[in-house]
Amino acid sequence: MARALGVLAGLAVGFAIVALLFKKKVIDMTFDERQELARGKAYQYGFFTLMGCLFFYGLTDTFLGTWCDTLTGCTLCICVALTVFAVTCIRKDAYLSLKEKPAAVMTLFAIIAVVNLALGGVYIASGDLVQNGILTFRAVNPIIGSMAFLILLVYLVNYVLERGEGAE
Amino acid sequence: MKNLRLKAARAALDMSQQQLAEAVGVSRQTINAIEKGDYNPTIKLCLAICRTLNRTLDDLFWED
Repeated sequence: MARALGVLAGLAVGFAIVALLFKKKVIDMTFDERQELARGKAYQYGFFTLMGCLFFYGLTDTFLGTWCDTLTGCTLCICVALTVFAVTCIRKDAYLSLKEKPAAVMTLFAIIAVVNLALGGVYIASGDLVQNGILTFRAVNPIIGSMAFLILLVYLVNYVLERGEGAE
Repeated sequence: MKNLRLKAARAALDMSQQQLAEAVGVSRQTINAIEKGDYNPTIKLCLAICRTLNRTLDDLFWED
């Protein structure tokens, strides 16, 4: 019961933060026609990745036995799909909307990555990450942190490569 | 195929890709993709670009 309340409280805080970011215009959804097309393709890749990951997770859980908490497994699949979506968008210059400021969004990603990876480090040190050979819900933090770090890394590499091409 | 006529028309007005992008309400990368021939814009965007650069559709987008 306490765990369920903790998860619900965490989700509520998450939604509140996202709502605040929308209100402050750090996150915006105004894209041009090329970006909409590119994002559609990226959604497609993300969707099929999610299907594949969930199927693979189900297979391993059935045939190899439970190796991770169900909610953690689902979160892992969602994060893999989101990473595929984000990386595809970034590669096609369709990740940030017309009104979003790259520095603000990437700072946000850096904060998400650092906080979650640090929490992951704490859980690893305390031995809460794996209990009885099963990956616990505590693994969600390092999973999200790794996803944010990877997206940030791809964005920075893409930014450097694009700078070489340069605006005219 | 590269759209050199668009690039030339933009340069004639001394506009950067960013300035043209802001004038027609798209990202700089989209203008870059059109000039490089990587993206075929909709007629709506073609018209917006033509109006901004004071050119006709034939001038910028028609290929013989």
